[in-house]
Amino acid sequence: MSTDANTKSAPLQVAPGAKKIASAKASKQMEKAAEKSGKLNALPDNKKKMQENGNNVHVVTLVEAVNLALRRAMTDDPEVVLLGEDIGINGGVFRATAGLRETFGYKRVIDTPLAEPLIAGISVGMASQGMRPVAEIQFMGFINSALEQMLCHAGRLRNRTRGRLSCPMVLRAPYGGGIHAPEHHSESTEAMFAHMPGLRVVIPSSPTRAYGLLLSAIEDPDPVVFLEPKRIYRMVRQEVSDDGQGLPLDTCFTLRQGGDLTLVSWGAMIHETLLAAKVLHKEGVEAEVIDVATISPLDMDTILRSVEKTGRCVIIQEAARSFGVGSEISARISEEALLYLQAPVQRVCGYDTPMPFPKNEHLYMPSVADIVEAAHKTLEVL
Amino acid sequence: MRYFKLPDLGEGLQEAEIVEWHINAGDEVKEDQVILSVETAKAIVEVPSPKTGKVLNLFGEPGDQVHVGEPLLEYADAQDDDSGTVVGKVATGSKDVEREEFIIGSPAAGGGRSDNDRAAGRDSSRVLATPLIKALAKRLNVELTQVAGSGKLGMITADDVEKAAKVQDDFGSAHSLKGVRRVMAKNMAKAHAEVVGVTIYDDVDIHTWKKGEDPTMRLVRAISNACKIEPNLNAWFDGESLSMRLIERVDLGIAVDTPDGLFVPVLRDITGRSPDDLRQGLNNLREAVSSRKIPAKEMTGATITLSNFGTIAGRYANPIIVPPTVAILGAGRMREEVVAFEGSPCIHKVLPLSLTFDHRAATGGEAARFLAAVMRDLATV
Repeated sequence: MSTDANTKSAPLQVAPGAKKIASAKASKQMEKAAEKSGKLNALPDNKKKMQENGNNVHVVTLVEAVNLALRRAMTDDPEVVLLGEDIGINGGVFRATAGLRETFGYKRVIDTPLAEPLIAGISVGMASQGMRPVAEIQFMGFINSALEQMLCHAGRLRNRTRGRLSCPMVLRAPYGGGIHAPEHHSESTEAMFAHMPGLRVVIPSSPTRAYGLLLSAIEDPDPVVFLEPKRIYRMVRQEVSDDGQGLPLDTCFTLRQGGDLTLVSWGAMIHETLLAAKVLHKEGVEAEVIDVATISPLDMDTILRSVEKTGRCVIIQEAARSFGVGSEISARISEEALLYLQAPVQRVCGYDTPMPFPKNEHLYMPSVADIVEAAHKTLEVL
Repeated sequence: MRYFKLPDLGEGLQEAEIVEWHINAGDEVKEDQVILSVETAKAIVEVPSPKTGKVLNLFGEPGDQVHVGEPLLEYADAQDDDSGTVVGKVATGSKDVEREEFIIGSPAAGGGRSDNDRAAGRDSSRVLATPLIKALAKRLNVELTQVAGSGKLGMITADDVEKAAKVQDDFGSAHSLKGVRRVMAKNMAKAHAEVVGVTIYDDVDIHTWKKGEDPTMRLVRAISNACKIEPNLNAWFDGESLSMRLIERVDLGIAVDTPDGLFVPVLRDITGRSPDDLRQGLNNLREAVSSRKIPAKEMTGATITLSNFGTIAGRYANPIIVPPTVAILGAGRMREEVVAFEGSPCIHKVLPLSLTFDHRAATGGEAARFLAAVMRDLATV
């Protein structure tokens, strides 16, 4: 495959504070591609308007930001191909790939059979030979049959070949509950992948981070499981500058500063966590809110620095309570910041059961009140 | 405004102790009505209400330390301002555009505004101790902030707690210094660690003094004149940058002893002021100190210091210089002594003097000339 793809394989610098990843050729190539294909019509109206104005800032939801990042990556790098169920003609069940087949053609936006092992397996093969496949699993509940490819091959290829082959693929999947989907559609099994060496697990929680992190995930020389919190797919709109610049992987993001306690979360639960921080603020308690963003490898530095400052920590996850990412963070805090703790670390989680049917979904999902209550617990213990 | 937070009381003071609440929770207060008194390191300050309204909650009891920016009370029926919130408005599913700001990784060291926004009543001091040790300390009634850790990284060990408990059993519990005494302890330790002090002692024969002469005013005058002759001792010295600032105006700090601790109010621009004017000024300062109403700015900016401890007892001392000043004159108790006077023994009144100077900033010769000038002035009518 082209040398272009290989020269891009330098690992990301992810030191906290590192700003952004440059991709200079971004906008020019975009224009060229648009001229050639003449397919700009596929863009939604507001985006088109902005581009006509020479402005690359788009007002987008999280799922639209995913679309924007995919479009940008495919424009900038001809090795980027998409594959998955219903992603082409249909544009994806959540419309994450809407309009891309029209722009880039059926050879780069591939509708696959209903066969997740095939989707993952083909991706491993393409990635090991220098392409940049971005595969979509329609729901996290369907990801399990792709596990064998991801754990035994994608995550181990570099190690197994002693560095001769790498696997720069991205496996995207909408995850999490709260949208009244059937039981087999609402999983939050990010810990399963985080537990496996060799896989990065990245979860955005806003349109801005969805755009920046997905671009970086695609550029990353190793396999990334990119989980999209579908409950907040269309919850908020943000201005996202389509400049081709990624956000660093392997680092947390501090969304709110506070000195009294640390709230750690990721994905859709960031929404409830920020609301809980607002409730606490009205009570005179200033919470620091950290979006973990990259679940594996964990950026414990950011979390520990905050916990050493506040002495109190609540971890919020939608996933089942036991053996999860929250358990790992809690363990690391007790190993490395025990002397700073003013109270036991609290976890606000889902239950150790499958997600209930839609009627009872709200009973499973952690609520703002649950988070505030856990925060109070850490504040009461001195 | 919903929470009224301890305002900046000036002079870089970061904490105050609540002396007394003048209102209760549930009271209606008027703007500018005095709501509580706090004691800073330097004075008792009366804090007025910034607005008219009903008070819902008071935070803190008399005796509690409050830091600048911590809430003192909560007003009822008021909306809190959201200013400074890092995250913007979250519009759920609406057409609004959310503005989001975030930091990649950790905030810069210091934690930004959060340090000032600590909720009321929580101890910010860091004690390095495992939960087991904290529980042990609680059981033995040991205050961990008073225990020095002997373990790794200064961690407090079980041994440290048990020793502290034993000392406490045998000798009673220690109390943490507060207010003026706390400041004195910190300043003196810093001064002692930093200043290279040398003290010169001498007696001056003051038999020429008229009856009823005011010794303090004579000392003030003598210092004023000596500063003209040897200006190097009326100066500020910065040991870090090794820079020195000679100061023309003489602002004399005068040590005043009170039951609450040491105060050093400043008598401004002593050169050329009449003794009556100076005496009146000094009396005003003493009065302000004893009623603890002296503003903080009246106790800063001294260029040289006088400690007239002889009004109590003591002949000589080695007074401590507080940076950035470079000299302090101590005056001991006046006494009658047999002195050689014009070739024969005589009984005269003498005044013992102790001059400490910072040898980083002045030479022995300069200090001795300064002392000689003081003595000359005191010896003349």
